[in-house]
Amino acid sequence: MSDYESGERVRTDKGVLLRLLRYLGPHKRPLTGALVMLGIATGTDVLGPILIMLFIDNYLTKRYFPHGPLVLLGSAYVGLLCLTALFNYLQVVLFQTIALRIIQRMRVEVFAKVQSLGLSFFDRTPAGSLVSRITNDTEAIKDLFMSVLSTFVQNGFLLVGIYISMFFLSARLAALCLLLAPIIALVMHSYRLLSTRVYYLTRQKLSLLNAKLSESLQGMYVIQAMRQERRLQREFGEINEGYRQTRQRNIQINALLLRPLVDVLYMLTLMVVLTFFGLQSLHAPVAIGVLYAFVNYLERFFEPINNMMMRLNLFQQATVAAQRVFELMDEQLLAPVSVAVSDAQAVPVVREGRVEFRDVTFSYDGQTDVLRNISFVAEPGQTVALVGHTGSGKSTVINLLLRFYPVLRGEVAIDGQPLIAYPDRELRSKIGLVLQDPFLFVGDVRKNIRLGNSAITDEQIERAAEFVQADGFIRKLPHGYEDHIGERGATFSSGQRQLLSFARTIAWEPKILVLDEATASIDTETEEAIQSALQKMRKGRTTIAIAHRLSTIQDADLILVLHHGEIVERGNHQELLSRRGLYHKMYLLQQGGARDSLPGGA
Amino acid sequence: MRVFLDLMWFFKMHKLRYLTGVTLLMLVAVLSLIPPHVVGVLVTAIQHHALTRAELLYWVVVLAGTATVVYVLRYAWRILLFGAAMQLSALLREKLYRHFTRLSPQFYHRNRIGDLMAHSTNDVQAIEATATDGVLTLVDSITTGTVVITTMVATISWQLTLIALIPMPVMAFATSYYGKLMHVRFHKAQAAFADITEKTQESIAGVRVIKAFGQEDVETESFASLSADVVQKNVAVARIDALFDPTISMVVGVSYLLSVGFGGLYVTRGAITLGELTTFVLYLGQLIWPMLAFGWLFNIVERGRASNDRVRTLLAVQEDIVNRPGARDVVPSGDVEFKVSSFFYPETTEAALENIFFALKKGQTLGVVGRTGSGKTTLLKLLLREFDVQDGDIAIGGQSIYAVTLEGLRGAIAYVPQDHYLFSASVANNIAFARATATQDEIHHAARLAAVHEDILQFTEGYATLVGERGVTLSGGQKQRLSIARALLMDAEILILDDSLSAVDARTEAQILESLRRERQHRTTLIATHRLSAVAEADLILVMDNGRVVERGSHVQLLRQGGVYAAMYERQQLEEMVEKGGVSA
Repeated sequence: MSDYESGERVRTDKGVLLRLLRYLGPHKRPLTGALVMLGIATGTDVLGPILIMLFIDNYLTKRYFPHGPLVLLGSAYVGLLCLTALFNYLQVVLFQTIALRIIQRMRVEVFAKVQSLGLSFFDRTPAGSLVSRITNDTEAIKDLFMSVLSTFVQNGFLLVGIYISMFFLSARLAALCLLLAPIIALVMHSYRLLSTRVYYLTRQKLSLLNAKLSESLQGMYVIQAMRQERRLQREFGEINEGYRQTRQRNIQINALLLRPLVDVLYMLTLMVVLTFFGLQSLHAPVAIGVLYAFVNYLERFFEPINNMMMRLNLFQQATVAAQRVFELMDEQLLAPVSVAVSDAQAVPVVREGRVEFRDVTFSYDGQTDVLRNISFVAEPGQTVALVGHTGSGKSTVINLLLRFYPVLRGEVAIDGQPLIAYPDRELRSKIGLVLQDPFLFVGDVRKNIRLGNSAITDEQIERAAEFVQADGFIRKLPHGYEDHIGERGATFSSGQRQLLSFARTIAWEPKILVLDEATASIDTETEEAIQSALQKMRKGRTTIAIAHRLSTIQDADLILVLHHGEIVERGNHQELLSRRGLYHKMYLLQQGGARDSLPGGA
Repeated sequence: MRVFLDLMWFFKMHKLRYLTGVTLLMLVAVLSLIPPHVVGVLVTAIQHHALTRAELLYWVVVLAGTATVVYVLRYAWRILLFGAAMQLSALLREKLYRHFTRLSPQFYHRNRIGDLMAHSTNDVQAIEATATDGVLTLVDSITTGTVVITTMVATISWQLTLIALIPMPVMAFATSYYGKLMHVRFHKAQAAFADITEKTQESIAGVRVIKAFGQEDVETESFASLSADVVQKNVAVARIDALFDPTISMVVGVSYLLSVGFGGLYVTRGAITLGELTTFVLYLGQLIWPMLAFGWLFNIVERGRASNDRVRTLLAVQEDIVNRPGARDVVPSGDVEFKVSSFFYPETTEAALENIFFALKKGQTLGVVGRTGSGKTTLLKLLLREFDVQDGDIAIGGQSIYAVTLEGLRGAIAYVPQDHYLFSASVANNIAFARATATQDEIHHAARLAAVHEDILQFTEGYATLVGERGVTLSGGQKQRLSIARALLMDAEILILDDSLSAVDARTEAQILESLRRERQHRTTLIATHRLSAVAEADLILVMDNGRVVERGSHVQLLRQGGVYAAMYERQQLEEMVEKGGVSA
């Protein structure tokens, strides 16, 4: 790591930290409360040894034991203990609650942000890394708030409290002890310097180790088939040993600078204190109680320092995580949203369901066009089918109609209004998508049909299910409509999943249907139900359908044959067959390649 | 505590290290008694105005000496014990890795990679923690506890010790009670966290549906409520977690109060001196840690045992593909002959292959065609010994493949698998995977044969370009061709192509097949494929269906036969036409 890079990191670290601290803003009041409680707890905590000092100096050494004052002193001591315990408890719970709330806000923010991103973002970001940012990275930041920051604040308070008490006991001695501050600072600083480097190195080697392991496990069949076991064992052994050595260095640094050294500092201070009182006793009497209290404070002074030093590494980890989370929050690839409509204009509403593509050309990456000059019209109630082999651009057409990607060249219009003019809510409720691989959510059947639309009544749900003939199998479920759907519906057959998704679409009563037909064959039993459900659903609705099986779209009003992003043939089934072009060949293929089975064929 | 016995093999391996470390640890416990003693002595002297400069100097020097020695000892035991534990984890990882390389694909079908990773990382970590923190807390809490209490009893007052320790069981009881509560609540918090992870996964996997139904806000709301649940469950944990410190400080405070109160009484009675009382209180401070540590110990040990059991189970998995007794370590060569009456996958009752009998002369090419799941890949995997045949035999050059070592057999075969896995390394290193010593010329030659040389030159850094998970994204066809180049560099007598050209266009496929024919004269090739054009020139074609050979012969013979193969061929001609946009007939 070059100096430049580390300098760069420090700067951004500060920026990240500031941005993190801004999240404290809305919690000013509970935060102040927590700080006040912490102050009280620290105060009562450090008063304890002073009471014992009073006991030793005023009563014990003087052999004077009046009943009343001693009981008072004892009760005061117990009272302080209770107060300290109480306020410390409250303070910690409050701090933790604030920290958890902050993380919650952050999580929801980043989740909402991800929801608002366009599909092009999801295309290029692996799902795993997104999930890990929303959950694991925020969890690492939680550690920062819950353990690092609170440790620093609490131990900082304690250090100051102890020091003030020491100052109160003996200003001269306390001032003398202050000389230690630079030494402590130096130790902490050098620890940070040394450990940060090794810490990063350790993490780097660990990720190398994990990568090697995971890669070897995945490619084991290759390794074995190519007899490379020994070489890879050797390579893994080297990485493993390198990791161990780095960790060994980590241990060395920790053993050199952490607890053992802090303990030496404690002993050093103890020597100073004892010498101070010892020398004083040579010519004047010494209050033993003060000496006792000092020794007692010293014993506790170094624990917070230990605590703080041990948290330094966690701090680094959290800032790295925070950086990743903020990066995601700043992501610019938003989903296309409707342009703001001025008040004068009426918000467009889908009434008829007329879909028009006008000379649409589209590219996902800005380089290769996947659609070229696509124009077609689907009149209200008509069915337009898209056919073509994989990669011909069928899915892109419906991706654009669903406004998953922005249309930059050409125009997509519904009822004469450009797609972009429609508010999201209107568009989403009027276009019903039926996906190839129906996606089911965790939750019961009802929830999967209704989704988030509370306007849909239970009755409507059941009617929708009846309409698509999903009612039969739903009622046979152990809990009917309340039956829980686990593991994305793995317990249902693909046909049943498909019917459920039909019911979902129908319950929303869309004007326009977008069908993405399943390629996989469905069990014959449900196949029939699905086909008849589809027939019923299409009635009275404009339908844009991707068809893999040409048999299902023979009654379509218009069939578009796509090839390499262009419409190469268009017409209805009979017209296309008689043209004997690409569609005809596809049809032959699906008929089993047997020429004589073609109606009206050669 | 059984886990310490389970790990005894390692402790014995590093006997000296552990013995020294533990001795040093005990020594530190004893030496730590010195400072409180010095404080006590000085307090007494100061109280009685009996302190001299010389005496003060003497004790300060004693303290300085103790501090130095303790520092060195502490450093030393940390290096010894922590270092040993790191060797333990490194050793375990190494053992696991070696074991993994010996297990057959079957094992990888049964176990998920994620689980294996977790065992090799988390479980090894937990075992390491047992060998460090476990040993440390066990030794330290027992020695410090015993040494300090003995000293308090022996040198100061057994009555006072008893009194001071009265509240301590409360601490042990309370912390173990909190621990139980924590455990339950912590699990709930973890479950809540798992819920939001699942929700996040769901929302990303279902992003199209969510967007199509305009459910973004609903999703966010439901995520917000789940994450509020996380907060609630975690606050519940914090409420218990926050009890530990106050409870401890209460108990310790009461213990101090009792010591000072009753100690005062003893001081006035002249049973002990004020200095001794100070020493006593400092000793008491040293007892807090062992008490806490003992509670911890059970946790660490419990986790360590579970993890150790899991790792041991994993290491005990039997290798199922092994060298037969008397196997000769030679690389077989010659005609390939299959005499397989039937083959069942482990734990299945339906035969995956039946009556596979054929012979292939050295230098000939075999084509295996058929639908997905017809048994093509299984057939090839038997030759590679990814699975062993129970009912029948396979021979190379008249010698059973089970009569030679695995090492020897695999030396005779270059394999291009169906799912072409590439490693995170440069293109050149990936091609040279089977022969790390290959020269640049050899690598380029192999790449040319696989028709991928030109593609590689287009990459930003040519042959040095990184591929794999962290490298450039390659197209399926490029991956396949790299995978072929990798196998060709092995220069083995038998080449297996398992549907390895599916993502390559027809012209490139023809080019590759042509260079194979040219380059691999007198060497045997086995090709499994969906695309018949790849096997048109094969000496023998087997048409598979349902694990059986339904037709066999050369391309011409099979076409003439007019059966399944001929129908497939016709269909593929049509498909090709459709792919080309229906232009050429």
